[in-house]
Amino acid sequence: MNLKFHNKKITGILTVLPENEVNFDDEIDNYDFSRGQSMKLKLIMGYGKRRVVKEGTTVSDLCIFGMNHLFDNNLLKKDDIDALILVTQSPDYFVPATSHIIQGKLDLKQDMILLDINQACSGYPIGLNQAFMLLEQDEVNKVVVLNADIMSRKVSVKDRGSRPITGDAAAITIVEKNPSDNIIYGTVNVDGTGADALIIPAGGFKMPSTPKTAEFETDSSGNSRALDHLVMKGDVVFNFVQKEVPPMIENLLDKAGNIKDEVDYYMFHQPNKFMLKKLADKMGVPYSKMPNNVVENFGNSSGVSIPTCITYNLGEKLMTDSYLICLAGFGAGLSWASLLMEMGNLDFCETIDYDN
Amino acid sequence: MENFIESIAEILEEETVELSDELESFEAWDSLTVLSIIAICDSEYNVPLSAEEIESSGTILGLKELIQSKM
Repeated sequence: MNLKFHNKKITGILTVLPENEVNFDDEIDNYDFSRGQSMKLKLIMGYGKRRVVKEGTTVSDLCIFGMNHLFDNNLLKKDDIDALILVTQSPDYFVPATSHIIQGKLDLKQDMILLDINQACSGYPIGLNQAFMLLEQDEVNKVVVLNADIMSRKVSVKDRGSRPITGDAAAITIVEKNPSDNIIYGTVNVDGTGADALIIPAGGFKMPSTPKTAEFETDSSGNSRALDHLVMKGDVVFNFVQKEVPPMIENLLDKAGNIKDEVDYYMFHQPNKFMLKKLADKMGVPYSKMPNNVVENFGNSSGVSIPTCITYNLGEKLMTDSYLICLAGFGAGLSWASLLMEMGNLDFCETIDYDN
Repeated sequence: MENFIESIAEILEEETVELSDELESFEAWDSLTVLSIIAICDSEYNVPLSAEEIESSGTILGLKELIQSKM
């Protein structure tokens, strides 16, 4: 599905990283690795440092901390927020929606739209799409897109495939109407037949958590996890990404009338270093235009890895300059989505640490 | 598939390998090696392979035939 939005712009991005930093070297004993394997994994996959929440810290905590940072620094006014979207797969509760928790705790106005979107690695572009659509309303002038996940809480400590790359983070993106003419191009695709490629089998209404779903089982690769944990078919996800993402971007650029080289940065979801390098190779894009350093520094925080990639790698440059940026998210669902837009002259573009 | 043997030898961290060699007999054989094979099959031969298919292909010859069957 091709999408097109007129006269919308991003005016600020803030990434909030939990203060708890875990180092892969300190965790090696949890996994069944030889020294050589560990070194290879560090180098190839980008296993390194990652940021995770402390027990008890939730998505709403990270979002509220970031929002207060913006209020305190006069970067955002409470009364200006006409809609707030939260993209997450790790909500505080099933009922009510976590966006309402956030609205209540921040004492935001009642005359606004709240919306929770259940999307993972493709959630950032999907949340932005929704913001652009809401801005079509006369009375909606400013939308806050919150993207936050704390999947480290759902990954088994004995899962050497997923654990060493999983990080937590939240990002706040401000989206507004643009008084001057511009067009943002986007794409969205889905494949629910691949739903089991990335799944937490237990804990929902289909299979409620019980003592039984918390029992560990070891798979053929030597990873132990319970039904309450996230399980990923790494090979299926790899092949899916390599198959679907390059043609998605080709189509996006084609619709926008741009060529590959005109794009300044490809800010993609950060599954791991290996997969991003393979994607760049396949697309014929230099590594310098497609940063792959989020996993080794902060971990893969699902869709939040995209704004993290932007604030970490571009930061203040986006406050003074403007770039043609291609965003892409791909993962659980299966779901893959992209956006192409000019981004720049932001009011803020920074990364801060959560501190409770 | 002229460079197949060389590529596989490189992934397995060996100077040379024989078609009859068992994949699991190599010291470097692990999940990362399987991933490297998935990646090279995608980039070189445009063939998507699952970890299970690779693991059950047995020998280097078995792997080669598996790839050829999907080309």
